[in-house]
Amino acid sequence: MRRLAVLFTVFAGLAGAGTLYLPAYPASVLVFDEGKGQIVDKIPLETGTPMSIKLSPDRKLIYVTTIDHNGIEVIDVATRKVINHFVLNTPTKQYRFWGGAADPSGRFYYTVTKEIDLDLNRFEVHKPMYTIIDLQQQKIVKTFEVPKEVSDARDFDYAGAAFQISPDGKYIYKFGENITILQSSDFKEVDKIDLAKPEFPGMQNVHFGGGFGPDLDLLNEPGQHISLFNSEDPIVHSKVFGLARFDLSTRQIDFSPIGPSPNGMSEFQVTPDKKAAYTVAITGIHGTKSCEFWAFDLDNDQVTKKAPVPCRTRFTLGISSNGKKLYIYGAGFDIEVYDAATLKYEKTYDLNTDVTYAGIVVLP
Amino acid sequence: MKHMRALNKKAARISGYVAAQTADAVPDAVALDVVALQDPRPTQTRPHVPTGCALMFSPGWEVDSAGGTAGLCQPVERDIYDCFVSCYWPAQVPDHLNNSPDWASKCAAATKDWRNLDLIFP
Repeated sequence: MRRLAVLFTVFAGLAGAGTLYLPAYPASVLVFDEGKGQIVDKIPLETGTPMSIKLSPDRKLIYVTTIDHNGIEVIDVATRKVINHFVLNTPTKQYRFWGGAADPSGRFYYTVTKEIDLDLNRFEVHKPMYTIIDLQQQKIVKTFEVPKEVSDARDFDYAGAAFQISPDGKYIYKFGENITILQSSDFKEVDKIDLAKPEFPGMQNVHFGGGFGPDLDLLNEPGQHISLFNSEDPIVHSKVFGLARFDLSTRQIDFSPIGPSPNGMSEFQVTPDKKAAYTVAITGIHGTKSCEFWAFDLDNDQVTKKAPVPCRTRFTLGISSNGKKLYIYGAGFDIEVYDAATLKYEKTYDLNTDVTYAGIVVLP
Repeated sequence: MKHMRALNKKAARISGYVAAQTADAVPDAVALDVVALQDPRPTQTRPHVPTGCALMFSPGWEVDSAGGTAGLCQPVERDIYDCFVSCYWPAQVPDHLNNSPDWASKCAAATKDWRNLDLIFP
């Protein structure tokens, strides 16, 4: 009996003992226990279908935004209950927003909104505005104009609110074609890191992330991030990818080029011990599309292992709470599990519910 | 002289609404007028977005961007809800944001039980 208990403990540890929070259709967040390999709870959302999910820096709250009526819901991790929810829309006004970030105190939510007024037979779409939402008052309290050169940038509609908040809550780091540092009180620009000509010889036009917008992985330390980046050299314009490490407190960025860029890369997932990371490199398109797991050694900034993986047309890469398993999920109802050490397929979890592309929160 | 008259109940409601607002002496009565897409208004600098959902007509549902099917989700039912939720292909899936918000409420996994989805007639 004791031997069986030990075996069970070992097996559970290999699978990870953490919890996944997955936004799902039509309006809920699934709570998935890694150790048991099953859904253990389902948190119903009051305001509609979830479109983004983000963990607070202190890991006590989960912020979910919903699309039906442009709402925000706050989930308490300990009780798995929605402790705050409201919508921004009125019967004649919509405030469309995509993503954003809450300040460390949990009082304000920073995002970019676009007001849409419903007239008799048409919609009037207004310019995008930097917006501060008071989570206690449950309403928009301040808006500020977005400079035209910022709102005209590519992907602004989807990635305009790619914000990270500084640990003291005073600054907002806006990731796009450049890294813009804004004051959180009034969105005034205080600094900008020009990625067209980064401080690294032989590089220009740096873009963060391998997939859909910047992908910043929190390195379990407030203000510390690591991301993939793509750039090109100014002479031959050959594209290079590598790793970029940010310290939001000191505003230091360290670039470490690795090699030629593939066509695309998925999310960048870092293990909890910060020694390894993984992504899916994509080459080809449609019928010629092929995917590979790439494993990185973060101590030496090298690709250490590659393995082919059958990739879906749309998917998201995740990592287990202990860093030992890789998840491929999205555009569907299942999670494929791969062993991070061997990059081989292990099993598939059937969630019986389609998940949205809002992301995932993993808690140990 | 007014050259248009309401022929159905909805048009009559619109006429009544505009007349009521005008009768209340709203300063800018022109702002309450019904606007057609081709109505030439030199002062209008932004396009009029018709009531509905989106103006997206790009392929990606029946065929991918290359005109084939290799780029579609496999099976294609995996893509139903992600297309529906943001009103991304309003001609192919119902309008989630304005007219059919509960279309997917009867089934959670489209690939498995798409037969439970309602038919929507515009």
